[in-house]
Amino acid sequence: MMTAIPQPSDNRVYLELAFHPTVVLTTAVRRFVSNFYQQLLGDLDATSRLAMAAQELLENAVKYTSHGETMLRIELDGAAGIVRIHTSNRSDAAHIAILERLIGEMRAAPDPFAFYQGLLRSTMHDVEGSGLGLARIRCEGDMQVDLSIDGDLVAVTAWAHTEPRVSS
Amino acid sequence: MRNAVDAFSSRITRDGETLHLFLEGDANMSAVEEIGRTLEDVHKAARTDPTSLVLVDLRNLEFMNSSCFKKFVSWLGRVQELAGEKRYMIRFLSDPNMHWQRRSLHVLQCFAPNVVSVVV
Repeated sequence: MMTAIPQPSDNRVYLELAFHPTVVLTTAVRRFVSNFYQQLLGDLDATSRLAMAAQELLENAVKYTSHGETMLRIELDGAAGIVRIHTSNRSDAAHIAILERLIGEMRAAPDPFAFYQGLLRSTMHDVEGSGLGLARIRCEGDMQVDLSIDGDLVAVTAWAHTEPRVSS
Repeated sequence: MRNAVDAFSSRITRDGETLHLFLEGDANMSAVEEIGRTLEDVHKAARTDPTSLVLVDLRNLEFMNSSCFKKFVSWLGRVQELAGEKRYMIRFLSDPNMHWQRRSLHVLQCFAPNVVSVVV
């Protein structure tokens, strides 16, 4: 079943970074994301899931950005009770096609855990490009993953419902 | 030279029929090859000398990305494929304060329930 994407409200706390991601930066940004959400949510488990999602999305950006910068937006929509992690970057057609297929399959799967286990089994001998990071966000992160494409601009949003600790 | 934010290290020791694998630091993209080599070394050592158990100590591992995680999946798959008498057990030692470990290790335990156990 497809899930409707909640529209952003005006009651948001968010931060955007535009940068050329490197391996070192992805780890530094993961720690920053962890601190950001820990302050807002006060929930170590949720914070851990969001930090993992940020790392996986940024590592995809490191691997698959064809040119230009990567944009990261981390957000708490207090009114809607939703957290969002959004990355956008430019990529090539082959990678975009793989992303469309994987995210389509993932969204269509009725059981995220079974889908994840199946992907682990079917790709365990693959060297590259199994899409495990996105499936991990969906399953271990318990987050929805949405994709939008505009030419070579790829935007991936991971989001989940949550309860903020402090007023946004 | 390693940067402070991506430092990762691994160490293998043996105690009788038990191999100990210690992983520390941050297993991000820069650690993928090292983890792959290390797990290959563990697998070879376990098959060369009598080994009933591999203890994987993650208690000082801050994070593991999906590419490193996949190396573990491949390793578990290889151990599962061994004939019964050659197969060894794998026990993960985890830190409950590192919340990603509980979720990721649950996934590994479900992937290879006949091989993997987890100690919190």
